[in-house]
Amino acid sequence: MNRSAPRPYGLLAEVTHRCPLHCPYCSNPTELAAAARELPTEQWKRVLRQAAELGVLHVGFSGGEPLQRADLAKLVAEARAAGLYSNLITSALGLSRPRAEELKKAGLDSVQISFQSDQALAADRIAGVPAHEKKLTAARMVRELGFPLTINVVLHRANIERLPQIIGLAEALDADRLELANVQFYGWAFRNRALLLPTRSQVDEATRLASAAKQRLVGKMEILFVIPDYYSERPKPCMHGWGNRHITVNPAGDVLPCPTSGEIKGLRFENVRAQTLASIWAESDAFNRFRGTEWMPEPCRTCEFRHVDFGGCRCQAALLTGDAGVTDPACSLSPHRETLTRFVASLGAKPVSVLGAEDLGGANFRQNAAG
Amino acid sequence: MTAEPIPANARTKISARARLQTDKVTGKPVLLYPEGALVLNPTGHAIILLCTGQATLQQMIADLAGRYRVPPEEISPQVMDFLERLRARNLLEILSE
Repeated sequence: MNRSAPRPYGLLAEVTHRCPLHCPYCSNPTELAAAARELPTEQWKRVLRQAAELGVLHVGFSGGEPLQRADLAKLVAEARAAGLYSNLITSALGLSRPRAEELKKAGLDSVQISFQSDQALAADRIAGVPAHEKKLTAARMVRELGFPLTINVVLHRANIERLPQIIGLAEALDADRLELANVQFYGWAFRNRALLLPTRSQVDEATRLASAAKQRLVGKMEILFVIPDYYSERPKPCMHGWGNRHITVNPAGDVLPCPTSGEIKGLRFENVRAQTLASIWAESDAFNRFRGTEWMPEPCRTCEFRHVDFGGCRCQAALLTGDAGVTDPACSLSPHRETLTRFVASLGAKPVSVLGAEDLGGANFRQNAAG
Repeated sequence: MTAEPIPANARTKISARARLQTDKVTGKPVLLYPEGALVLNPTGHAIILLCTGQATLQQMIADLAGRYRVPPEEISPQVMDFLERLRARNLLEILSE
C-alpha cells in the first residue's frame, strides 16, 4: 500500500462515449471505446460503492452522453445509496420529462447542461445537430422538477463575443451556476486550435464582463470563468494535482488520473474489471507517475508555486513537447514556453475578425464524427 | 465583493442545491453541493442547522450566543462571515419579510 496516496474527492464516471453531438472541441478521446466494451450495470455499481468507500464525495455522470445508457437511473440510485452527491453532465438530448422524473426519483442531485452558444443557429452549427431548442426545453423542465441547474458553455473564438447574451440566457433559465470555460486544447480541440483560440483582446474583454457579472449575481448564480491557459503566465493547477483528488473511469473501465490522460503515450491504465479502485488509486503506475512533487524536473522542482499549480497539466506537456514529465509550457518559466508564444503570434497575423459563428462547422473543421 | 450585508431580520435557508451529511471517512458533517464540499466544524454545523428559514438572523445569533455562552456581539461577526461564505457559493437563500 502506498501510504502517500491522498484521499480522492471526485469521480468522473464516463459511462459511455456514445453521443448525439459532434462538437469540434469534443473532450472525448479521439479513439473512442466501442459500445460493446462498456462496463455492465453491476460493474458500475461496484465502482460507485468502491469510490464512496475510498472517500469520494462527488460523482459526475458523463460521457459521451450519459443518457444513452438505459440503466442510468440504476447507477444514480446506487450513487445515492453510497452517499455520493451526483451530477448529470449532459447535452440534454434524450432528457425527456419521464426520464428526468425517473432520475429525480433515483436521487440525482443536480444537472449540468452544455450549451454551445445563446443562439440556435450558431449553437447547432457548433454541435453539428439541431439541439439548441431541445436544450432550452430540457433546462426549463429540469428547474421545474427542482434540480439545481448548471449551464456549461465552452468558449472559443466564434462564441466568446456573445458572452453577455450567454450570461443572459443562463439567467433566463434560472441556472444556479454558470461555467464559462475557454476551450482546452486537447484531442479534437488541439487539432482545431487555430480556429478555436480567441484573440488576446477577446479574452481580456470576456474576463472583464465575467467578473462584472459575478459581482452582480452574487447569491443568485455562481459563475466560473476559466481563461485559455495559452494566455496565462502560470499554468492551471490541473486536476488539483495528478492522482491527488480525482479519479476518472472511462466506459471500458480503465481508471485514469484525468479524462484526457489516456492520450499520454507510455502510461498503462489498470481496469476495474481486474482490480479494486482502492488498489488502482494507491498503487498503480499511472496514478503514481506524476503524483506529489518527486517526479518534477526543473524549473518546477524548486519552484515556490509547485504546491499551487503542481507543474500544470501533464497532458498538455505531452502534447506540446512530446514529454509528459516536463513543466507545462503554459507556464512562463517553462523552457518550452516558446512553442505557445509562437503559436499565439502566428494567429495574431491572421484576420481573425472575419470569423463569425457562421464559419464554424464548415469544411475547415475536423469534427468528432463519433456517435 | 458582496452587495448588501444580510439584514438582521432576514431568515436564511440552506439552498436546495446543497445536501448535509456525515462524512464516511472522518465522521464530520459535510455540506455537499455542485462541484464542491465544505467540511464543517461544530460551529459551522450549528449555524447550518439553524438555517431552516424559520429563525431570523438576529434570533439565530441570540440562540448561538446562549448555547456557547458568549456575548452576541462576539459571535455575530463569525456568524456573518460564515453566512457570507455560503452566500458567495450560492448556498444560502435569504428570505425577506
